[in-house]
Amino acid sequence: MKTMGKKYRDPQRLHPVVNIIVTVLLGILAIACIFPFIYVVIISLTSEQSIVKNGFQLIPEAWSSDAYQYLWSMRGQLFRSYGVSIFVTVVGTAISVLMITFYAYAISRPQFQYRRFFTMLAFFTMLFSGGLVPMYIVVTQFLELKDTVWALILPLTMNAFYIIIMRTFFMKSVSESILESARIDGASEWRIFFQIIFPLSLPGIATIALFSTLGYWNDWFQALLYINDPNLVPLQSLLMKIEANLEFMRENMDVANMQQSLFSTIPQESAKMAMVVIATLPIAVSYPFFQKYFISGLTIGGVKE
Amino acid sequence: MKKKLGFLLALFVVIGFILTACGDEESTADNGSDGETYEIKWYTVGTPQPDTEKVFEEVNDYIKDKINATVKMTQIDWGDWDQKSQVMINSGEPFDIIFTNGTNYIQNAQKGAFVAIDDMLDEEGKELKEEINPTLLEGIKVDGKIYGVPSNKEAARQTVYSFNKRLVDKYDFDLSKVKRLEDLEPMLKVIKENEPNITPMATFNAYLPYDYIFNNEMPFAIPFEGNTDEVINHFESDLTMETYKTMHQYFNAGYLKQDAATSKDSWPMDVENWFVRMGDTQPYADLVWSRAAKYEIVSVPAEQPVTINDSVSGAIQAISTTSDNPEKAMEFLNLLNTDPYLRNLVDKGIEDVHYTKNEDDVIEDLPARIERYNVPTYSLGNHFILYLYENDPKDKWEKFQEFNDSAMEAPTLGFHFNSDPIRTELAAITNISNEFYPALATGSVDPEEYLPKFNKKLKEAGLDKVIQEIQSQFDEWKATE
Amino acid sequence: MKKIARDIYTNRTWLLMVLPGTIWLLIFAYLPMFGQVLAFKKFRIDPDGFFASVINSEWVGFDNFKYLFSTDDAWIITRNTLVYNTIFIVLGLVFAVATAILLSEMLSKKLSKFYQTSILFPHFISWVIGSYFVFTFLSADYGLLNYILEWFNIDPVAWYSEPKYWPFIIVFMSLWKGVGYGSIVYLASIVGIDRTYYEAAMIDGASKWNQIKNITIPMLKPLMIILTIMNIGKIFNSDFGLFYQVPRDSGALYSVTNVIDTFVYRGLMNLGDIGMSTAAGLYQSVVGFVLVIITNYIVRKIDEESALF
Repeated sequence: MKTMGKKYRDPQRLHPVVNIIVTVLLGILAIACIFPFIYVVIISLTSEQSIVKNGFQLIPEAWSSDAYQYLWSMRGQLFRSYGVSIFVTVVGTAISVLMITFYAYAISRPQFQYRRFFTMLAFFTMLFSGGLVPMYIVVTQFLELKDTVWALILPLTMNAFYIIIMRTFFMKSVSESILESARIDGASEWRIFFQIIFPLSLPGIATIALFSTLGYWNDWFQALLYINDPNLVPLQSLLMKIEANLEFMRENMDVANMQQSLFSTIPQESAKMAMVVIATLPIAVSYPFFQKYFISGLTIGGVKE
Repeated sequence: MKKKLGFLLALFVVIGFILTACGDEESTADNGSDGETYEIKWYTVGTPQPDTEKVFEEVNDYIKDKINATVKMTQIDWGDWDQKSQVMINSGEPFDIIFTNGTNYIQNAQKGAFVAIDDMLDEEGKELKEEINPTLLEGIKVDGKIYGVPSNKEAARQTVYSFNKRLVDKYDFDLSKVKRLEDLEPMLKVIKENEPNITPMATFNAYLPYDYIFNNEMPFAIPFEGNTDEVINHFESDLTMETYKTMHQYFNAGYLKQDAATSKDSWPMDVENWFVRMGDTQPYADLVWSRAAKYEIVSVPAEQPVTINDSVSGAIQAISTTSDNPEKAMEFLNLLNTDPYLRNLVDKGIEDVHYTKNEDDVIEDLPARIERYNVPTYSLGNHFILYLYENDPKDKWEKFQEFNDSAMEAPTLGFHFNSDPIRTELAAITNISNEFYPALATGSVDPEEYLPKFNKKLKEAGLDKVIQEIQSQFDEWKATE
Repeated sequence: MKKIARDIYTNRTWLLMVLPGTIWLLIFAYLPMFGQVLAFKKFRIDPDGFFASVINSEWVGFDNFKYLFSTDDAWIITRNTLVYNTIFIVLGLVFAVATAILLSEMLSKKLSKFYQTSILFPHFISWVIGSYFVFTFLSADYGLLNYILEWFNIDPVAWYSEPKYWPFIIVFMSLWKGVGYGSIVYLASIVGIDRTYYEAAMIDGASKWNQIKNITIPMLKPLMIILTIMNIGKIFNSDFGLFYQVPRDSGALYSVTNVIDTFVYRGLMNLGDIGMSTAAGLYQSVVGFVLVIITNYIVRKIDEESALF
């Protein structure tokens, strides 16, 4: 270690020993976090008899692809739900990012006279919510969105939490001096927003977009409330339905036993885990896409001034 | 200044929306009174089926001529049902008929969510009233009024111990000796020693012979026999202590799973990993169970059939107060429960598409019935006009009738407690019951230690006040009976 | 009046930018808020729809709130909620910031990227699934942990009926699920920090530790304060799944797992009373609101710049 010598070391970089310690520590954390997913994959590939007999094992007694064959047998519903989830996530995230950045940018600018009022307007909603029933009335009776894809998108569009994060981001990383020079050049505020602010703020926007994507992708509650049409059920909601139906079965064993065919289509443990795998995979695959922007944020930050 | 502006803006938007909302309400006020065909909106429980629309086209063709109405049935999946139906009812969503049962039915009736149908039962629902077991109608009265049409089926409950017959035969057990929980001991012992792959007892809560005001977890009950005038906390009785002691002894002997108190296992019948379980029966239930399980199941009663509030309110179709035309809804329910063609169409689907029928009106399911139109029979209506399946005994519905007639009436049948005066106490007591009941009833903890603890906490949470309130309402109700 | 018109005109661009968001907030956040009056009413259903129901329901004052304070248990749940959330806020902050800084300083950017992907994983997994994981470790019949204990000749533990271990399990699980998400927020902020600060510090010969102490953390401070204030606003709310599904609703553990949300859920299961559930929500919001105001006031006293408002 000593041989590295102080003069060879770039002071902006970590000391190699420290780096190794840090890498190992974070590695343990990373494994602890990702392990469950691997575990879920293993369980999804375990034969049902083996689960009944031994419970969940790291190395199952008997492997089986039954769970995925079962999922393949319901591919019609599955693909449709995938489609709904993807549509809702993409469209929802786009609308959401646009509305949040507009709002947050405006309230981050000192020129805006009413910024305090609009900040509080957003902030207040974080603490007080209307409750389930009034929200339901707004969506179903005022806006008449029941059984439409918009019922899955609109209620989650804005989020005071994200607005506040974005506002901080704009305040910290968009300095007035760049804007001033642009204004002197005669650019309108809109042009400034789209041509300067937007590219400059990609790291922040990517963060919001990621959260928003997660929010949409993982949401099942809107579907529970507003969707009756099986063609509009998103993937997570399908998963939750299975879980909820099992719960119902446990609590109403007598009903379940009397007309068993009603519940015979509810999948067993391994199939449930297989659902978790296919529901989590797309987001895991698309995450590195967002990550690219975090990394590119480094360079953008570097050349800023 | 700034505030004022925001306020103006807000006010403007809100007013705008209220105006649009009001505008909408007027346009939907079409109740079909002027001869137009009225569409009945019907929400019921169960997984939505692909062929629902197809079947209801037939239904609508049929009923349009009879009652000048069409029906739109929407099924809400099992697991979503509780939450979704509750939100729909509370939000005052306009619809006509909704499935309900048990405590949900009583609470919503008390809250004013359903139309009282007593008068309509003498008009639009005349035939229906004659058809349905009067015990059912009597039992679901809330404050003297009927708020829904119960499914005409078994009206009583009979809890049974069910056994895996293969094992009973193998070890030559004499089931006729089984009367109480204690009688199971010798059999459980043999199974535990000789059958390593079998759990002797599928997880269940020990049976206690009480008529519960709410449910078996809550400490308010009246004994079926003995002093049937007095509301007690049944967790204080010697019988409870004894039963739970036996259960605890079984638990310690390893007859039950070690995680019984927190287990989420529903013990599906088609997995043969148990020896004895507990459940509610109906005539020929053993046959149904054996068919589902694919091995034989045989049951021994743990109690005589008894008509309780829970068993009469097992499945009810209620008319919503938000219905624009309750009379039409009643006409439909009347037809559904009295017209064999309609009832079977709704339940089994379309003949030769979902099932086939042979000469003696005996039917057989086609694959499409299971795959495309599999609806829950119990929730939809009158059972006694349903076609029988080939493997059903011919006297199935007669036996149901006998079963209903033989049942004893529980002391609180028809008494529905109004919990408004003691809501605060009930919320606390529910939490305490949740804390102790599952562990005690599955024998997971020592009752000598935990029952007194349980009762002490209940007392502190205001048990006596609640019992007193129940008693006074009960006495009052009795006086009017 | 003229002045207002002029003000609106000068601010037109900004107002136009907040307009879509404002409309959304009014419809989806403020409009439903009138439902809060139900906390003071005994809800009855009126045939003319929800508004009529709300208006015609009988006022009952603070009756709907009583059950939140009436018993010894009510104080235990308040204590549990507060203590757990305080621990979550403090540990969550420390772990998230530390992880974010370490991730940003790691030499191998490729590995760092992989780690980032991994630590966010638990966030995707619902507590229903999360409770299965915990169960595979803690199950009395075939859990991994008991298997290990047996191996070391230690008596197996009935995990789901031993309250003493659960405060640690709950805190651990909360961090497991939350740290990844939190650290990504801070990481995004770190990568946004102007590199020139570090260059200047390097010229002055500042060590890595000093750079972190004097540049990174101060730059993160506003975000840290904001997120903490917002978390304090939710200090009376808790993650339902963590306290309900993860301990498998085990009665023996209530003394350490019952929080306001689970108490309300269990208490109202039989009653289905929306007045009482609204009351609980309002109580949580009001306490949160008051705490936020106080915290913000204190922050402002110390450092005007960082205050939220």
